[in-house]
Amino acid sequence: MLRQEGKRRWFLVWYILPALVVYTAFMLVPIINSMRLSFFSGDGLIPNEFVGFDNYIKLFAEYPFNERFWNAFFNNIKFFVMVTLYQNILGFLMAVLLTRGLRFSAFLRKLSFIPTTLSVLVVGFLFSMIFNPVWGVFDQILRVLGLESLIRPWLGDRLTALPIVSMVVSWQFFGESIIFYTAGIDAIDDEMLEAARIDGAGFFSEIWHIILPSILPVVGIVTILIFVGDFTQFDIIYAMSTSMGNPGYSTDIFGSLFYRTAFSSPERGGWGMGMGAAVATIMFVFVFVGVGLFLIFFNRRRSKLS
Amino acid sequence: MITIHRRWARLVSYGLMVFYAAVILFPLYLMLITSLKDNRQIFTRPFAFPNPIEFGGYLRVFTVAHYGIYFKNSTVITLCALALIVFLSALASYALAKYEFRGKTAIYVYFVLGLIVPIRLGTIGILKTMIGLTLFDTIWSLVIVFVAMGIPLGVFILYDFIRMIPEELSHSARIDGCNEHMIFRRIVVPLSQPALATVAIVNFIPVWNDFWFPLILIRSNEVRPVPLATALLFGQFETNFGMVFAVLSLASLPVMTFYLLLSRYFIKGLTKGALKG
Amino acid sequence: MRKTAVLALVLLTLVAGISMAGGGREAEGTTKLVFTSWRTEDIERMNRINQVFMDENPDIVVEFQPIKDTEYDAQLKSSLETGVAADIVFLRSYDAGLQIWDTGILLPLNDVVPALADFPGSARGAWSSPEDDLYAVPFVGVTHGVYYQKAIFDKYGLEVPETWDEFISVCERLDANGETVFAQGTKEGWPLYEVIFSGLGANFYGGEQARQDLMAGAVKLTDPQFVRAFETLNELQPFFPAGYEAIDYVSMQQMFGTGQAAMFIGGSWEIGIFEDLGSGQSEIGFFPPPVENRGDRLSYCFHVDAGIGINAESENLDAAKRYIEWASSPEFAQLFMEELPGFFAYTPGSYSLSNSLANDMIAAVEGADVTVRTVWEKMSAQSPSGNTLMWEALIDMYNGIKTPAEAAAHVQRGLDTWYRP
Repeated sequence: MLRQEGKRRWFLVWYILPALVVYTAFMLVPIINSMRLSFFSGDGLIPNEFVGFDNYIKLFAEYPFNERFWNAFFNNIKFFVMVTLYQNILGFLMAVLLTRGLRFSAFLRKLSFIPTTLSVLVVGFLFSMIFNPVWGVFDQILRVLGLESLIRPWLGDRLTALPIVSMVVSWQFFGESIIFYTAGIDAIDDEMLEAARIDGAGFFSEIWHIILPSILPVVGIVTILIFVGDFTQFDIIYAMSTSMGNPGYSTDIFGSLFYRTAFSSPERGGWGMGMGAAVATIMFVFVFVGVGLFLIFFNRRRSKLS
Repeated sequence: MITIHRRWARLVSYGLMVFYAAVILFPLYLMLITSLKDNRQIFTRPFAFPNPIEFGGYLRVFTVAHYGIYFKNSTVITLCALALIVFLSALASYALAKYEFRGKTAIYVYFVLGLIVPIRLGTIGILKTMIGLTLFDTIWSLVIVFVAMGIPLGVFILYDFIRMIPEELSHSARIDGCNEHMIFRRIVVPLSQPALATVAIVNFIPVWNDFWFPLILIRSNEVRPVPLATALLFGQFETNFGMVFAVLSLASLPVMTFYLLLSRYFIKGLTKGALKG
Repeated sequence: MRKTAVLALVLLTLVAGISMAGGGREAEGTTKLVFTSWRTEDIERMNRINQVFMDENPDIVVEFQPIKDTEYDAQLKSSLETGVAADIVFLRSYDAGLQIWDTGILLPLNDVVPALADFPGSARGAWSSPEDDLYAVPFVGVTHGVYYQKAIFDKYGLEVPETWDEFISVCERLDANGETVFAQGTKEGWPLYEVIFSGLGANFYGGEQARQDLMAGAVKLTDPQFVRAFETLNELQPFFPAGYEAIDYVSMQQMFGTGQAAMFIGGSWEIGIFEDLGSGQSEIGFFPPPVENRGDRLSYCFHVDAGIGINAESENLDAAKRYIEWASSPEFAQLFMEELPGFFAYTPGSYSLSNSLANDMIAAVEGADVTVRTVWEKMSAQSPSGNTLMWEALIDMYNGIKTPAEAAAHVQRGLDTWYRP
């Protein structure tokens, strides 16, 4: 590396500063500002009356705010677990399949990413039409297959609404998992796999003992991506079950709660900007702690395995 | 590469692949064919290929709903945001990758931290700032937010790439009388072109598709980008399925086409970080 | 070369985008007024109405730019606060409109439109501040009742029911014959509250008097009269279609409008949509909410729906005032009611409605106890609003999660957290 004289290095400021300023002023400062506003209350667009921890007390201890908050919290955890199951685990297995040198693998890899290029909103609208009970195609397919007895009001039943929404999100981002995992598996040394086969390793033991440990960092990254994405997800709920998280808030998650609280009028479930800022702050803390824990977990596993 | 030899295993594998391909393609097929049908065709033959093909939905989206305005807005926003992301990230990455100075690592980490900080959580603060700057309800508010959103990934990708450029090249340029700015312009930028393109491409999807910030920051019809307009038109035409699906298809086709043309870059750009671990 | 190809593509897209965006620019010397509302489905109809105004006032161009209904109130408020709002705005009645008036950015209209003095007092009251500043032209009201497919009714020789018992026996007859009785769904809460509870429930909870008592705190939703309304309305649930839990509002309209169900409990604003779907006034009929006993006075929910106000910071105040003046004229009211049948103007004057459904709706007002939506005035001003509580309670009741009594208790419990009569 080149070591410049102290005086001449000042020009570097002009290289770094523009990006630094935009990034700081429109990403970091707003988050801090939001946190500050969570201690304020008021009807206007920007709350102006200092209320201390009132918003948080309301959120954690006052009916019905606490009920909505914890409901969104637990729904979000369910949502995350389901998406991880569909997208991460099935995505991983599909990626293993697509790295076996079968014909059309490359084509399918390319294909799998197409849904990811769509807007979440479009995907949500599309699938809410597919699952529509009156003329939705999904029920018609079940009828053609003679599975009529399975038909349920998919998006209107508390039991099925959130799982369906999770499936739709997974459908869209399945391709992301596949891209990451296939790239990770491709990078594994072929000789290592060959050696394992000569030792008589079966398909599943090969996955467990060779593939999984080698791509654990990738698993970590995908999991963290899903985690952050799911805990700030909003568009899919807006498109499929409105910002009310219908039916009966059973699809209400942090993102929709935040939007409704902060940006809706009181008649439609708005609680004012101050409360919205409090919700955002808790989400921020949660996401940050969560990502931290995942990082520690995956780093530890990695050092253990290697 | 490990291959599958057993016959039944191959059969099962291909079966799974066909099923997966169908799961991906069927909803998209449905969206496209439905957009080319009238209501009667949609109800009587929902899965069949449109016959006759009806372009009426698309036509009305452009004539009645002035879809061109939204498309133009999205194009301008995306191009400006991508250009700025690439430019600012390149400048910062060059300085961080090629020079030693105090706080360098800290600044790099600070940038990359943005990869896991969801910018949505600062929405109320952003709203406040945009109102203060009187940028509320303009496309520039979106451009700025998208630039802030894209810089972390930009720096992350470019830093690595620029670091790999051999130092000898800059060195001989210096001997030839180039100053540091000229090195950036004449050596680093031309050599980094694949990486610069990657940065633009991977940011293209989130910028073009973003619905959240337009929903918060945009009010007037003349400045609505495609995703916001999609939500509006979905409400406006909801009893006319052909049009609804035309609206959804129109929102999706540009990015889909872009991806299919440049899929190699997309995949390379996205997996770059993951592989490094 | 790949790089050149990419660049060409980008440029092509840009050029295509810009050239396509040519439309919508106004001519020199004209003033552009932006008119916003929550009725995205009315764009084409409103454009035709505004064209009449523009023909009479060639120096003004009116652009109708609605916002999605669910987002409208919050977005309008923030637009006004930040100075980017439309010139002419739709305002909801009572508190929702009042909250916008409180931002101080609406023009008081008392002196701008003298004709307002002749508007009916109840309508004026819905858009007046406590200080009697009138901030919107009381524009239209809407009503609620039951639509039916004439062909299906004729097929079984069914009469239009007058009492609740007759109503239920019609349902039973249709059900026994394998017809889909109602095109009703419970995916969204608002139609359940606005149309079913306020519309059909008023006859059972005691109409306008009960609403006033509720606001004054003299009665609670957990009192027998309201619980009975919940119970009675719950009797309709067995007649809802298969999968009703997942049927959203649009699917409901679609089902009924295309003749797939015999009846639809709906609002007057839906006439136009049904017509578009092939159910015009010759195919469908309307009857007002069934009363309990023959000869009972009808409690008719005739909701004060929309007022038109002016953004005081509009750059085109003069043009906006001219538009508002026109909008409070009988000419406009007649035009509007013809173009959008089912919206009823408050503008004094005598009108002829060519749509028979609209005529039936307005005829029922005669001698009726006119009321508005149950918890709209005052009780939806804060969180949790009576509105959202009703949505929650009714979805749960119809989905079998809450009993009628629990549903009533849920709303009351929520209101008790903040509402002080």
